[in-house]
Amino acid sequence: MQEILQRLSDAILAMDEDAAAQLAQEAIDAGLDPTEVIDSACLDGMERVGTLFEQEEYFIPELLSSADALYAALDVLRPHVHPSVAERQRALPRVVIGSIEGDTHDIGKNVVSLILSTGGCEVRDLGRDVPSTEFVRAAQDFAANIIAISTLMTTTMERVGTVIEALRKQGLRADYLVIVGGRPLSPTFARRIGADGYAETAAGALRLVRALTADPRPKRPGVGDLIVL
Amino acid sequence: MSDLISPRERLLRALHKETVDRAPVICPGGMMNAAIVAVMEAGGNKLPTAHHDATQMTNLAYDVSTMTGFENFGIPFCMTIEAEVLGSAINYGTLECEPKIQKERFASAAEVIFPPADAFDDNNRVRAVASTIHTLSSRYADTPVIGSLTGPISTAASIVDPMTFLKQLRKDKDSSHRVISQVTDYLIHYAQLLVESGVDVISIADPTATGEILGPRMFDEYAVTYLNKLVDAIHAMGKPAIVHICGKMEAVKPSVSQLHGDALSVDAFVSLVKIKQEYPEITTMGNLSTILLEFGEAEKVESATDELKNKKIDILAPACGLSTSTPLKNISTFTAVAKNNG
Repeated sequence: MQEILQRLSDAILAMDEDAAAQLAQEAIDAGLDPTEVIDSACLDGMERVGTLFEQEEYFIPELLSSADALYAALDVLRPHVHPSVAERQRALPRVVIGSIEGDTHDIGKNVVSLILSTGGCEVRDLGRDVPSTEFVRAAQDFAANIIAISTLMTTTMERVGTVIEALRKQGLRADYLVIVGGRPLSPTFARRIGADGYAETAAGALRLVRALTADPRPKRPGVGDLIVL
Repeated sequence: MSDLISPRERLLRALHKETVDRAPVICPGGMMNAAIVAVMEAGGNKLPTAHHDATQMTNLAYDVSTMTGFENFGIPFCMTIEAEVLGSAINYGTLECEPKIQKERFASAAEVIFPPADAFDDNNRVRAVASTIHTLSSRYADTPVIGSLTGPISTAASIVDPMTFLKQLRKDKDSSHRVISQVTDYLIHYAQLLVESGVDVISIADPTATGEILGPRMFDEYAVTYLNKLVDAIHAMGKPAIVHICGKMEAVKPSVSQLHGDALSVDAFVSLVKIKQEYPEITTMGNLSTILLEFGEAEKVESATDELKNKKIDILAPACGLSTSTPLKNISTFTAVAKNNG
């Protein structure tokens, strides 16, 4: 990797917004392809952050600060990206994510949302306390292929299944992959409500999305063929 | 067989590390409250009204204690009073659903403006809690009244947008310390009101202050500092304090041992036995799985309770917030087995 790309990746890892923005500008000034800079330096930096997060070297304050450094670099780079890249982005996994109705705990969901966004997914975050009908409506509107539902509360976990019921009722179940996660949930629970995937951790959620949308795309798992990561 | 000491004395003795005939079984209220739907339907005192109305709050706290068998009164039934007083918008929820922060008052820690120092005195829900404590503690001398507080980090993250707040713990330490320190002062004032109303024990739950979220450095810098400031102030009022720490604990175990609380309450997947081995001076509290309580068979609840007793956990309690749809039978099995000396 070119030195400047390495330094940009390092700046993201070091949570240094100013340095990240400056190095992104230097990369543009040096005539580097902005897409290449995003793909190698930025994603590389965030992958390393994700690894440290998984290893419990980094925690949520560090993860969020690294993401800010990433976004500072992206703000500089994106205006220079060739329009053809918009085409490519259509092929990225498209995820709508939210905490289920009744649940206003969204730190975990926000982390998953962040890790998916910085890991190469197009994400629409519906926030917290999201009704099942809103998940379905937003998934249609966003042309999502994945609906990700989170809950932290045993009180609201039963409502996670209502999103899948709502999809079934509207004849839309086959159009979306549904993944679930959150402290009280388990693979058993995910299987029972008919989800397509379950992940225990935020990094697992990214791997799950990548596995579910891998090319060639695997056949939709049948009932009981839950993917667990 | 009648017990030789009252539940109140037993709990206070356990918190003061004195010998007891058996471990108390309690549910402190706040994050961990047992106002389940079955109790409200049977007793007729219901949420969300009982979040506001002192008479209903008193009656519901009484119903919870008598119907579940928990050996205390635990109030309030939510974690939103503190943030309400400090300016955030609250959704009071429904019969089944706990109140929640609708919108944090401030976008960043740097923007926080605090209300007058006596803001808690003027809040209706604070007054309902104080009045409930007064009524219950004067009517039922044998049953301990536990007043629950939302901890400093969680309260701060309930008045400032939580993601910005968490980031600022690193990036804007001055604002973060200013906000959390002042929040702690308000909490101390609130605790003082509860103590003056006759509360026996203060229980602090700080679900944002976990090792998983903060990591060891931030946990030390913020959670330990301000939880201890709060606990020390409660001790100065002559009352014991329980501290509940959510989540996995591996990352912050040494820091947790630095907390000044009189009992440490933990989540279901934390091994209290290991904590007892590593830190024998800690009074352990917990940690019956709330998922087991909601979905398990009564027999499983029975064996899990026996297991906690065999492990000599000092105070038996649910591990976390109870679902409002938890079957009453499972809770009464928990408390009955806990009380059975055989």
